[in-house]
Amino acid sequence: MVLVVLRRLGVFATTVVVASVVTFLMLSILPGNAARIALGVQASEADVAAQATAMGLDRPAIVRYLDWFGNVLIGDFGTSTVSRQAIGPEITDALGITVILVLTSVVLALLFAIPFGILTAVRQRKPDGAILSGISQIGVAVPGFLAGMLLVTIFAVTLRWLPAGGWVDPGEDFGGFIEHLILPAIALGSVQGAVLSRYVRSSVLEVMREDFIRTARAKGLGAGRALFRHGLRNAAVPVMTVLGLQIATLLVGAVVIERVFSIPGLGSLLLDKVALRDLPAVQGIVLVLVVFVLALNFLVDLAFTLIDPRLRSAT
Amino acid sequence: MFASIATVMVASMALVGCSSGSTTAGGKPDTSLTVGLLATPGNLDYTTTAGAAIPQALLYNVYEGLVKLDNDGTIIPLLAESWTVSDDGLVYDFLLHDGVTFSDGSPFTAESVKFSLERVKDNWTANGPAYLDPIASIEAVSDTEARITLSKPSNSWLFNMSGPVGTMFTESGLADLATAPVGTGPYTVSSFKSGDSLVLAANADYWGEAPYMTGVTLRYFTDATAQTNALLSGDINLISGISQFQLVDQFKSNPDFQVLEGASTGEVTLSMNNASDAFSDVRVRQAVMYAIDRQAVMDTANSGFGLLIGSMVPPTDPWYDESLADLYPYDPDQATDLLAEAGVSDLTVAFKIPNLPYAVAGAQVVKDQLAKVGITANVTALEFPAVWLDEVFSKHDYDMSLIMHSEPRDVTAFAAPTYYAGYDSPAVMAKFAEADGADATSYIELMKEATTTMAEEAAADWLYLQPAIALADADLLGVPKNTPSLALDLSTIAR
Repeated sequence: MVLVVLRRLGVFATTVVVASVVTFLMLSILPGNAARIALGVQASEADVAAQATAMGLDRPAIVRYLDWFGNVLIGDFGTSTVSRQAIGPEITDALGITVILVLTSVVLALLFAIPFGILTAVRQRKPDGAILSGISQIGVAVPGFLAGMLLVTIFAVTLRWLPAGGWVDPGEDFGGFIEHLILPAIALGSVQGAVLSRYVRSSVLEVMREDFIRTARAKGLGAGRALFRHGLRNAAVPVMTVLGLQIATLLVGAVVIERVFSIPGLGSLLLDKVALRDLPAVQGIVLVLVVFVLALNFLVDLAFTLIDPRLRSAT
Repeated sequence: MFASIATVMVASMALVGCSSGSTTAGGKPDTSLTVGLLATPGNLDYTTTAGAAIPQALLYNVYEGLVKLDNDGTIIPLLAESWTVSDDGLVYDFLLHDGVTFSDGSPFTAESVKFSLERVKDNWTANGPAYLDPIASIEAVSDTEARITLSKPSNSWLFNMSGPVGTMFTESGLADLATAPVGTGPYTVSSFKSGDSLVLAANADYWGEAPYMTGVTLRYFTDATAQTNALLSGDINLISGISQFQLVDQFKSNPDFQVLEGASTGEVTLSMNNASDAFSDVRVRQAVMYAIDRQAVMDTANSGFGLLIGSMVPPTDPWYDESLADLYPYDPDQATDLLAEAGVSDLTVAFKIPNLPYAVAGAQVVKDQLAKVGITANVTALEFPAVWLDEVFSKHDYDMSLIMHSEPRDVTAFAAPTYYAGYDSPAVMAKFAEADGADATSYIELMKEATTTMAEEAAADWLYLQPAIALADADLLGVPKNTPSLALDLSTIAR
């Protein structure tokens, strides 16, 4: 078990280093001059060249890379060429917002998917089961940004119940925070909820055909009790796998939803920084995203072994 | 004027506790305002960072200069009470307001004028430090008298003093220009989060008339639909400078909102690289002028909003000539003739545009119209600002582009031979120089002559002037209609 964890950590570290090199190389061939963007159209070419030197853009690529990644390793993400603030805190602030958004949408997705998935599985052969199944199929097909725009049109623009976008810090005004969180979390979670409910359904159907359920039924348990006592825990393993993968998808989906709802999360920060060619900041953000997704996968793997004792002996 | 009415209203409401008009639940007048804007500042230091976003938020609100532009584009006093100019046009004596302090408590005096303006040459890298080149010396005659001597008479420098380069700073307020600006204006910055919001609070010690709005939040959007949705849902009260005009109609029929249409300084320009093989012949450029139906471009790209100008001069400049809009009427036959005369057939041009909605929409119409006279335009949409600035603006690697030039009085910059348009007319440059040193009347005449020559020589096709459209809650008063400068002046807004 310890060896497995160590081996995984080794892979983890190697992936991070490779990702840092790839990110750096890709950004260094990105067209556009950060110095020209900073000084605008009124500045002369000479001023722009001087600015590029001041920003360290004229140093060899290898020197820039080592300087950047060396500092990242000691926890210093450098200073933004645009905001002139430390990049680390900018990233953690934005990451905090994105994590709140993603986790809330995961909770909402699960709250929807588990009962809905079980229901469609149990009512599989009934007409209402088929209708419910159809609804979740539609949910899968609607992209998050479209769901977001529909929600805004209905609940913000027409009914004026909730704000159309923006973000309020929970420490500042908790009520406002919740109000601003509801629509984007639903928009982001709706597709995932629909997708998850499909997995819950098929997973439950599969489990119900297992021998141990038949045994439980033979002992005299009703179908419902057999499912709840023995089935759900087993059905949870494949659902967890999908959920782990989906959180990575949700981080990407959050970029779009943050745009639709004007939320200053990591996705918005990334797009703003790319537009302004704030390369140290972009590198930092991408690296944080990579680490975050890898760490999630790592945790999901660990979680499996907790949910399913059979996997403990297997590893 | 609105501020004074507002002050009276506030006073009377406080006395009788009346709650007419727009009030909060407590019966007090609602003096908070949320404005939705599109371009976010990356930081708050316009001495070293370009772009309209920072001056839009800070100029006249947090920072002030000796003079400002009013909403009609006229230079009026701000920190200077008045000024006199010597007969030779070289010596400007400014009488300064007494008792003005910066928001950090330090006093504003003639020494601040000397300090701020002398700092521009060595410390500013953005927003045109060269605008102050005409200054030879600055002298603090007394605390309230500043004398500025120019090396040659210049009509443009006082105008430029109304922009960012004329801003008054205090030495003790320079520590953190990027996040904590210190100025003499009616507002101070409470908080700033790039990409999200900038919160302004009324400056309690402001030397002038207190603004009606005591708290203003500027909220930044990246999407124009999200911005208008925020107004419709009541999250924000005002949108200044809407950019996607198809979103405007829904507000016109809605009694909860008002639509204000004014003039901006944004000339949407079909630029032709005068130095390229394709467009070095004036007849080919003129052929393009005749080939383009500017009204059709404006209808498609701007839902018909805008003003046909025909030159790089908006109506808020004194040398505006409305007849130039008809200089090149839509006439494809004339275009074909001119191309034949120039011996050009099967012309193919690299049409590199920024990936902005108005440019993408406009370029399609232009492309179709050029095809009708036998010019093939290969449209490439480049990421804006990064790639467009690099490829088109810096490297001049293009034949044709379509972009809005939003700076006030940017026609002189456009005429410079090193500029991306590659227009090279020593006669026009000489005329601009002569105009700058001339007396007030000749100034306007000479400017008119130079800008007319540029239009005649088809230095570019100035398609139309972008309108300044503000969408606001119906109860807002004093919303600035025109945008003659970069600033969004909040001091006049009331309820």
